[in-house]
Amino acid sequence: MPLKVTVTDYGVGNLYSITRSLERCGAEVEVVSDMSKVLDAECIVFPGVGAFDRTMEKLLPYRDGIRSRLEAGVPALGICIGTQILFEGSDEGSRPGLGFYRGRVVRMQGKVLPHMGWNSVETDDPILEGTPDRMFYFVHSYCGEPSEPVCIGTTEYEGARFGSLFRKGNVYGTQFHPEKSSVTGMRALKNFIDFAEAQR
Amino acid sequence: MLAKRIIPCLDMKGGRVVKGINFKGLRDVGDPSELAVEYERQGADEITFLDISASLEARRTMLNVVSETAKNLTVPLAVGGGIKNVQDMRDVLNAGADKVSMNSSAVADPNMITACAENFGRQCVIVAIDGKRSGDHWEVFTHGGTRPTGIDAVEWAQRVEDLGAGEILLTSMDADGVKTGYDIPLTAAVADAVDIPVIASGGCGSKEHIADVFLQTGVSAALAASIFHYNECTVGEVKQYLRDRGIAVR
Repeated sequence: MPLKVTVTDYGVGNLYSITRSLERCGAEVEVVSDMSKVLDAECIVFPGVGAFDRTMEKLLPYRDGIRSRLEAGVPALGICIGTQILFEGSDEGSRPGLGFYRGRVVRMQGKVLPHMGWNSVETDDPILEGTPDRMFYFVHSYCGEPSEPVCIGTTEYEGARFGSLFRKGNVYGTQFHPEKSSVTGMRALKNFIDFAEAQR
Repeated sequence: MLAKRIIPCLDMKGGRVVKGINFKGLRDVGDPSELAVEYERQGADEITFLDISASLEARRTMLNVVSETAKNLTVPLAVGGGIKNVQDMRDVLNAGADKVSMNSSAVADPNMITACAENFGRQCVIVAIDGKRSGDHWEVFTHGGTRPTGIDAVEWAQRVEDLGAGEILLTSMDADGVKTGYDIPLTAAVADAVDIPVIASGGCGSKEHIADVFLQTGVSAALAASIFHYNECTVGEVKQYLRDRGIAVR
């Protein structure tokens, strides 16, 4: 049986790229708009489309339940906004996040925002092992600022470094979009799927 | 360090690429989906489709092309041409585009920029500006460069930023098609005036032109069509040339 990955659909954007990419990595993908289904998921992907409050709107009723599942070790991957909602809250919105990563999401430093385009990620974590380079596609104006040691990778922008890769337990979060990062991103996604498989 | 982006642009009509394309090894050199994948393989950082069709039927064909392309592409895809309202933008995004660019309709109804940014996030809203020199400034033209608007291009760029644009695609009408290089004064003026990424377009005839626009202006990306389509150089060759000149590329 292939790994079944549950992708959350917040109803605000196109999930085609991420679902297609996960399928290419050998996963079976289930897209859910009923967030109660996340509670039974074998592996969760929080995709990276939308704004903070709109994204949390559908997740909020299941906030405690989802966080408990993440704490219990269900493998999960957040992408961009899907990573930001793993924090306690954001300068971009007024709703609380899932609160799995301690800390908040803040407005980025930098003259030109959004931070848009390809940039490199520095990390020692095996999740990027075997990638041809460390260049990933970013598009965001906010970034996570954890108050616990969950940041495992950073990226430089306009002279400052920000957290671009997070991990706590079995829950990875990327500020970049692996599904938009060509062969490098596909390898990172494959590594995550392999990691999730190993937790079964 | 953020890399400068290289963006091949495909002009399309009725779902087919219309500018001449000269590629070996492709079954169908007019098929946008195949070309997009080939450019990704060469190292393109993003792909832009520009639909110059007029009819509604052709526009539906375009949506099919976008979804067909999105199936196989793993770099961002931007689509422009004929976007008239929020619903048009939604259709293109739902077909699989990552960004949508608007031009004439944004000038006719600037509030549309804000509406699109609020609905989909400003990161996917590109405002395309066609500028032409007029005395000591540049004037915005619409409808494929046929209608003067009396609007100053630099002021318009600042206004679209305030209204919610996430990026500006700036085309110099004086330079477009001439292949003598990007319009450095216009490009520098707009890139200096705004705090959102600017894509330079129009006039690219060689890899030297791409290096010039990155070395002499603050743009984030360069868009080009014919130098790639006619196999004059690959995206990879452009990037190597830029790297040798100390310009950060992927």
